[in-house]
Amino acid sequence: MAGVNLQLRHGYSIAQFVPTVSSPPPPRVVRLGISPSRVLCCNLRAKIAAGLTSRRLDTVSVSSAVDSPPSSDSLTEDRDDKGRIPLLEVRDLRAVIVESRQEILKGVNLVVYEGEVHAVMGKNGSGKSTFSKVLVGHPDYEVTGGSIVFKGQNLLDMEPEERSLAGLFMSFQSPVEIPGVSNMDFLNMAFNARKRKLGQPELDPIQFYSLLVSKLEVVNMKTDFLNRNVNEGFSGGERKRNEILQLAVLGAELAILDEIDSGLDVDALQDVAKAVNGLLTPKNSVLMITHYQRLLDYIKPTLIHIMENGRIIRTGDNSLAKLLEKEGYKAISG
Amino acid sequence: MAAATVLSRLSLIPNLSSKPKSKPNRRTTTSVSVRASFSDPFVLQLAESLEDSLSISPSSSSSLQRIRDSSAETLLSTPWPSRKDEPFRFTDTSFIRYSQIEPVSRNSTNLENLNETHFPNAVIIDGFVSNLTIGESDLPKGVYFGSYSGLGEELTNRVSEFVGDFDSGDLFWSINGIGAPELTVIYVPVGCKVEKPIYLRYFAGEIGDQETKRLPVSNPRVFVLVEEGGEIGIVEEFVCRDEDGFYWTNPVLEVVVLKNAKVKHSYLQKESMASAHIKWTFVRQEAESEYELVEVSTGGRLGRHNLHVQQLGPDTLTELTTFHMCVNEQTLDLHSRIVLDHPRGSSRQLHKCIVAHSSGQAVFDGNVRVNRLAQQTNAGQLTRSLLLKPRATVNIKPNLQIIADDVKCSHGAAISDLEEDQLFYFQARGIDLKSARRALISSFGAEVIERFPNREIRDQARNHVKGLL
Repeated sequence: MAGVNLQLRHGYSIAQFVPTVSSPPPPRVVRLGISPSRVLCCNLRAKIAAGLTSRRLDTVSVSSAVDSPPSSDSLTEDRDDKGRIPLLEVRDLRAVIVESRQEILKGVNLVVYEGEVHAVMGKNGSGKSTFSKVLVGHPDYEVTGGSIVFKGQNLLDMEPEERSLAGLFMSFQSPVEIPGVSNMDFLNMAFNARKRKLGQPELDPIQFYSLLVSKLEVVNMKTDFLNRNVNEGFSGGERKRNEILQLAVLGAELAILDEIDSGLDVDALQDVAKAVNGLLTPKNSVLMITHYQRLLDYIKPTLIHIMENGRIIRTGDNSLAKLLEKEGYKAISG
Repeated sequence: MAAATVLSRLSLIPNLSSKPKSKPNRRTTTSVSVRASFSDPFVLQLAESLEDSLSISPSSSSSLQRIRDSSAETLLSTPWPSRKDEPFRFTDTSFIRYSQIEPVSRNSTNLENLNETHFPNAVIIDGFVSNLTIGESDLPKGVYFGSYSGLGEELTNRVSEFVGDFDSGDLFWSINGIGAPELTVIYVPVGCKVEKPIYLRYFAGEIGDQETKRLPVSNPRVFVLVEEGGEIGIVEEFVCRDEDGFYWTNPVLEVVVLKNAKVKHSYLQKESMASAHIKWTFVRQEAESEYELVEVSTGGRLGRHNLHVQQLGPDTLTELTTFHMCVNEQTLDLHSRIVLDHPRGSSRQLHKCIVAHSSGQAVFDGNVRVNRLAQQTNAGQLTRSLLLKPRATVNIKPNLQIIADDVKCSHGAAISDLEEDQLFYFQARGIDLKSARRALISSFGAEVIERFPNREIRDQARNHVKGLL
């Protein structure tokens, strides 16, 4: 529940905070910002953010369950009773479209542990894609309540590029074209931004090229793909492969795949699924947004969530998807 | 569109009412646009000082003299343009007007550290050709590149048929006509395909003084004639050593592309940020000819390109791709006009501009005129502008005037800041907003820069734009 305490970000979250505080969660070990393996990634900004948050906490923690403010020096892990380490914790997340103020997410709760594969399914308009965009900080949406904690850090405090550098990756459902910027240059920029963040030497285009060529095989693409402008004139399949190529090059602790299967033929789907499976490690997690059982045949999920009207209404194993395939959403929402 | 009508009434209708080449017509046009005005004493004084400056220069060539005479005649009745004149509605030339304009004096400035180029090239300083470098195998036999006075009799006669025969110029065209010290000629004979482009490097040698407002003006003039089936690339580059150099370059380029000939024209304007640069490019295209222009302009407190493409026969192809970038307190202006008088002409125009300064201004007046006989014309025009700072200004006036009834024409204009979606895509991959903006801004111009046919020029333009950003 540490996430609750980290949610005080902007003024607007105060109102959401009060009800949470009035029913304090059971005390538990305080979640630490940084696990041993992640100490390297910890940059000044994260420390500052943590510091700020803890100061804010001091003023409002009267009824909070936190025994002591989070400290980035302590190294205790927040494993649950099964020994799993949570990677992403979403609590009662609410979000509106900035322009129309229409509420799309109405209290989403979800925890993804390290090494897990989750699938979110749901009807058109149920809020699946909005959920994934909110996670990466899309400017079209505003979070009005709840919290998102990723690797112990309050995601809502972070700019989109900081979220990416922290290890969050979203493959776009329909990636934009960027005329005039070559795929290679784009990837190189992104890759070097990551290297800078890790304090490692950046790669020049020639060094980077050799790294890329090996990654191209992962998604079964030719090298001329790199000289083309980002997504410009790409077919639907090429765009999806390109997203996975970016994932392969940049790496991610949590990959959010937003309808990575839409518009793909069977061969392309297999390529993409193979690439994603190849990137999975016991520490990495995947959150898939999909309409179809088909993708789940290739990438086996740990859990399936059904989303409806801005909430997750059911969570279960693969049998849930099978039920869905057979009887449609009526069987679940009814 | 009301404005467009005014424009047409002033300068285009006289064109239609009589044969374009007839001499009396030249007078008609001039007098139409200024009928109500008398001689402008300031212009007369300027014309006199230009004439005086040339009296010592050894140019008695008939063509140049003819240009001077007709320009002098025109200047008698042409006032300095004001914002009330439609072609200068958005373009303020008053800083030139209220400077102490002085013709350049010929002194050969030595230019060290010139960038190496492997193209046949001419270094033109203040309008005078100071250095002409042509390698032995550079130009095929029959190709001429040099001064007008060095042409043989036969070529002199051939070139004289075309030189200076233009009746839609303005004051600045005439000022060049009276002030041009020499005429540089590029001649490509029938069926000759010149592999290497000819590189014209214009330098501003004499610099004035912003304090005393002494503004030296130079009038370089080049004429290109490509005979039937010939092909050539022309590269023009305008530069100044001094980044804050105060001067005025007023160049003219005439291009005649005869039947089935091709000209690829690259134009890179990198003048100083305090200068004035007002250029005329006048192109005539015979049947089945092709003319392609790629332009990148960034310099000048005032930079203006007047581009007139006149179609002289059917089945022509015209491609204009231009990019203007204002990163300072400056005005960059493209006034282009494509006049189609014959069937099945095809023209494609893309104009892009970036204004990255709150006192920066971009102006575009893009006129495409599809006259009665120009059936089955295919004309497309697109302009896109990026305004990156509050109060940055762009004035655009895309206008198609179509009289023929069986044509395919399109035009579009977009003015915006950078696309949010594109910026977010960068951010979502860990690239900060500042770097993302920089990448998107340079990619905006890249669409034009990539069209330069020569790699050397492409790289040069790319680095130049990158340096300014």
